[in-house]
Amino acid sequence: METLKYVGKPFVREDAFDKARGKTQYTCDRKIQGMLYGKLVLSEKAHASIQICTEKAEQVPGVVRIFTHKDVPEKKYNPHNWTAGTGVFEDMYILSEKARYVGDHLALVVGETREAVEEGAALVELHYEEEPAVIGYEAAREAGDHVAFEKEVKCGDFEHIQQEEVLEIETAGSTQAIHHGPIEPHIALADIDETGNLVVWTPCQTVFMVRYHICSLLDLPYTKVRVVKAVMGGSFGGKGLSVVEPACAFAAWTLRRPVMLYMDRPADITATRKRNPSCMTVRTLVTREGKILGRYIDSEFDGGAYYTNASAIAMAFSKKLFRLYRIPNQTVHAKTYYTNTTPGGSCRGYGSPQAHAVTEINLDQAAKKLQMDPCEFRLKNVVLPGDKDPSGGTDLGDARIKECILKGMEAFDWKNRREHIKEKDTDRYAWGIGMACGTHGNGYKGGYPDFTNVMMQIHPDGSAEVRIAVHDQGCGTVMTMQQIAAEALHMDVYRIKVPEADTFISPYDAAGTQASRVTYVCGRAVQKAGEQLLDKIKNACLALYGWEKEKQEALDGEIIYQGTEKKSYGEISIEYEKTFHRYLHTELEYEPEENPGVYCADFAEVKIDKYTGLVEVTDLLAVHDVGQCMNRTLSEGQVEGGAQMSLGQALFEEISYDKKGGVRSQNFSKYHMINAPEMPEVKSIFIENHHAQGPYGAKSLGEVVAVAPAPAVANAINFALGSCFTDYPITPEKIVDFLEKQSNR
Amino acid sequence: MLLTCKINGEFISREIDPQKRLLDFLREDMGLTGVKEGCGEGECGACTVLLDNQAVTSCTVYAGQIMNREILTIEGLEKNGELHTLQKAFIENGAIQCGFCTPGMIMSCYALLQENPNPSRQEIRRAIEGNLCRCTGYEKIIKAVESVKGERK
Repeated sequence: METLKYVGKPFVREDAFDKARGKTQYTCDRKIQGMLYGKLVLSEKAHASIQICTEKAEQVPGVVRIFTHKDVPEKKYNPHNWTAGTGVFEDMYILSEKARYVGDHLALVVGETREAVEEGAALVELHYEEEPAVIGYEAAREAGDHVAFEKEVKCGDFEHIQQEEVLEIETAGSTQAIHHGPIEPHIALADIDETGNLVVWTPCQTVFMVRYHICSLLDLPYTKVRVVKAVMGGSFGGKGLSVVEPACAFAAWTLRRPVMLYMDRPADITATRKRNPSCMTVRTLVTREGKILGRYIDSEFDGGAYYTNASAIAMAFSKKLFRLYRIPNQTVHAKTYYTNTTPGGSCRGYGSPQAHAVTEINLDQAAKKLQMDPCEFRLKNVVLPGDKDPSGGTDLGDARIKECILKGMEAFDWKNRREHIKEKDTDRYAWGIGMACGTHGNGYKGGYPDFTNVMMQIHPDGSAEVRIAVHDQGCGTVMTMQQIAAEALHMDVYRIKVPEADTFISPYDAAGTQASRVTYVCGRAVQKAGEQLLDKIKNACLALYGWEKEKQEALDGEIIYQGTEKKSYGEISIEYEKTFHRYLHTELEYEPEENPGVYCADFAEVKIDKYTGLVEVTDLLAVHDVGQCMNRTLSEGQVEGGAQMSLGQALFEEISYDKKGGVRSQNFSKYHMINAPEMPEVKSIFIENHHAQGPYGAKSLGEVVAVAPAPAVANAINFALGSCFTDYPITPEKIVDFLEKQSNR
Repeated sequence: MLLTCKINGEFISREIDPQKRLLDFLREDMGLTGVKEGCGEGECGACTVLLDNQAVTSCTVYAGQIMNREILTIEGLEKNGELHTLQKAFIENGAIQCGFCTPGMIMSCYALLQENPNPSRQEIRRAIEGNLCRCTGYEKIIKAVESVKGERK
């Protein structure tokens, strides 16, 4: 690989300047002449027929209109369907005709001021006729008829493995409902432009998806609806599915006035989407030498009150389980239930944080039974570069999980610490270390359409513009694209502009900024477009100045000929247009050939206060197989932020429901996200082996980072206490309960 | 009531609803939209401003409570178009991702440095314990503050 000049370097992202000054305009900061505010009225009951009385609310000065189910189109949609062809079952209206979960969208109050809207929303009277509510997968299982989706994925034949000399390790465990926790709650702004188009600004992950939903629901032509990705205050998958956009667009279109539909934190927790809770039983068969012969996983998911991702979560979960270890015989049975809780949706890692949470504990239990070091046991079973997916998925590519584990063991001083950590134990504190592995993908290839389009041009001032429908969620996606384009074009990163997705200006992209596809798929498209454009620049120089292409060198935005003559890209652009009546630009459509895996191994140390049950994570090392870091600073930022989310899964976070479906954790006082004092220092190691198909060798990173810290911590706790916690989060209550039971023995 | 106070160094005198949250007063009446709302109950810290040099969550303070007092928001840190060292440090250290928590985070760190120009790592963590960030895992934020230690104003 030739030396990279731009990719991998810690360039400072341009949007940080205004963000540091408080000048960046997020959607909530915008004001349009004549703008109205909108707020959804949410159900307080989990399952009920409803009657809505809006009379009092309508009397509030400044309330303009109150919409209920009877006002919205008689048309259902599924906010999970990101293209018109996705075709997953549709069962949601813009406003529901009955309450199916606490948080269900029942009415929309629109008014001149926020105060009027708040007062109006409080005065909307909801009369409920309650029906039995099914809360959680256990209740759904008992109810019997709540299955939304069921499927089995398999390879080999688990049932007929020779049982002699084989150990079976069974683990039952569960993961909780997680709130995405972006600090910016959901919001959208809609208006009608000067030529009558409906324009929607939204911090979303897929503008073309939002356009499809709005056009389908409001029966508008695609050409009349403009969806613009707004500056986003975090998503983590929470803004991946449409949530407030259809209602916002509907109100603006109906009232012919701009409407800003905002949510507060309780609404954001209860009335958007959640990470699907899961439970599973894992049975693994291993030889005495530590080879995994087979695995059977029976899993169930809480899909929530509408179909949304019922099939997608089960499939995403199942498929990842075939891509980390070489397991010749494996069956994964997955079932998703309808329940009367918040609908499920995409959430950073999509299925991986559930899949690896319990299976990685199961593997530690297997290692324990075999009296084998957990790392050594895994090393005997991990996939290797070039492996196939035995369930028929795409090839794993340059899968470097083995290096992740080996590098991690060395850097963490694993063997030595594992041997001596218990020497630190005191009467009050127990210490432990643990590790876990994880995998994730690089887009939709192999499952769904995954392609993108790029238009790239050089302007007369020598700047470059890259049009591609990317959505920066805060990770630095735009800077990543700038760096790739800079590398391909050999020019200054900061002279390249990458406008974010806008259905009126961005060329079509099939799948949005989700599924860990942007660096790998969109980045590669930008690389290819850049190379194509550079070739065009060189051809222009040949035509204009008679410079032989082989003797031209591109450097810092200029073409240098034979080391002496040179022309800037700007000059070439002007002269090319003047002489040949053409603009210096290129376009291409790109579809990746494969969808390899990304891998990680995380190592954690914990200190447990046996008096209080509090767990402190004292050290975390994350080793990632990324192919190539795009930007060291941004890459570390992903690892550190992903760890915050995964450690929250391990220890604190949970959207908890009471038996009737009431949400106990409606705000951050009850939904505990890890804050700075609780956060360990996270060390990152990147395995940069250059994946042939990625842009300059890069693979995805943003989701896999939120997978392995949780099971690494669980394994560390279990090592410290000799326990077997398998239900997340591992709260102080559970730990104290375990210790009490143990001392009573 | 007629409110008189100082906001970002300027004297203000105007008729206000004293029961309005300081957050809303700053955002809506004063146009200081750098002050962000993330939870509305003082848990996330996105709306942190300085009230007489103390970091407070402006969603839990009434506008009427700032009578004759001094407020500093993120917009008040720049001097003559020059960013404060702390703002620069946030930018250079990769402490900003989505940026929604950033203004509040910077104000909490600024308050800390005013009081303690040489904070330890632990003191920095404590100073931002009321500021939630979902993107960064706090590490780069702590590094940013460490990088400006000892540089008073």
